Amino acid sequence: MAIGDYPKEYNPAVHGPYDPARYYGKPDTPFGQVKLSELGSWFGRRNKTPQAIAGAFSRAWWRWQHKYMQPKKAGVAPFFQLLVGSMTFFYAINYGKMKHHRNYKYH
Amino acid sequence: MLSRAALRTVAARQSASTALVARGSATDSGVRDEKNFPRPVRGEPGKVRLGFIPEEWFQFFHSKTGVTGPYTFGVGLATYLFSKEIYVLEHEYYTGLSLLVMVYIATKKFGPNLAAWLDKEVESVEKDWNAGRQQTITDLQEAIENEKKAQWRAQGQEQLIEAKKENVLLQLEAAYRERVMNAYSEVKRRLDYQLEKANVERRLSQKHMVEWIVANVTKAITPDQEKQTLDRCIADLSALAAARK
Repeated sequence: MAIGDYPKEYNPAVHGPYDPARYYGKPDTPFGQVKLSELGSWFGRRNKTPQAIAGAFSRAWWRWQHKYMQPKKAGVAPFFQLLVGSMTFFYAINYGKMKHHRNYKYH
Repeated sequence: MLSRAALRTVAARQSASTALVARGSATDSGVRDEKNFPRPVRGEPGKVRLGFIPEEWFQFFHSKTGVTGPYTFGVGLATYLFSKEIYVLEHEYYTGLSLLVMVYIATKKFGPNLAAWLDKEVESVEKDWNAGRQQTITDLQEAIENEKKAQWRAQGQEQLIEAKKENVLLQLEAAYRERVMNAYSEVKRRLDYQLEKANVERRLSQKHMVEWIVANVTKAITPDQEKQTLDRCIADLSALAAARK
């Protein structure tokens, strides 16, 4: 599978039009339904190659796109989400500098 | 030789990859699975609270903490971050606060108008994009109607040709009858002529025969015979006169 190709499991004859937000492989237990005791084995079963991780991020991105950005009458919410997300991100990467602006010695 | 070997390896790799794809979908029969993989539809946008927090995150709290739980959690988390100075209130924080107020006011003030205008634009764009499709559908339907009408007209032409053929047959029949009538009248005329000719010949020959006989008989009467006849007639007359008296 080269860059730009469809996932190996995707078969247009069976799955119809490609949905970039969808996982076409064999589905495992959803993360929300995994019991704490099974969490280790659940993570063990995950595919942790860089391609798979990139694919997971891509699907999450498209799921967010389909839910907030792409509907016909999308509101301002996705832009606020991007704003808050980028603020959090830049705060996190600048945290080392922000630390020096602390006002109190003891917390 | 080298290039041929390279080609062969490429072909082998391709067939291997296609085999992989085939094995990936081997769980399915290769038939379109509409139930598990329906065609994606464009839905309504997801609900959010406070402008950006997904509604689902609040729903996640509801069963455990009630309706105010998520807000309590949010305020508690913020208090924790502020109090431990994980979130540092440096000068940019106040800039952000004033920006937040400005964004809030702008959203409340201009948001509805902008939303209405954008919705209108979206509708008009969608209408524009659909217009060509609708136009094509209408055109094709019109073409179908025209084609049907043309076929109906062609059927009319067939009827017309049929009627014309019938007409020609009628004309042929009329011509035939006219000729038959003509032949009949011509034959009748000739027969009439023959009849008339025969009649005239017979009359003439009869006339001549009578004239000839009369002439010959008149010629055959001698004066004696005439005299005798006259006398006889006078005697008869006188006898008749005597008998009448």
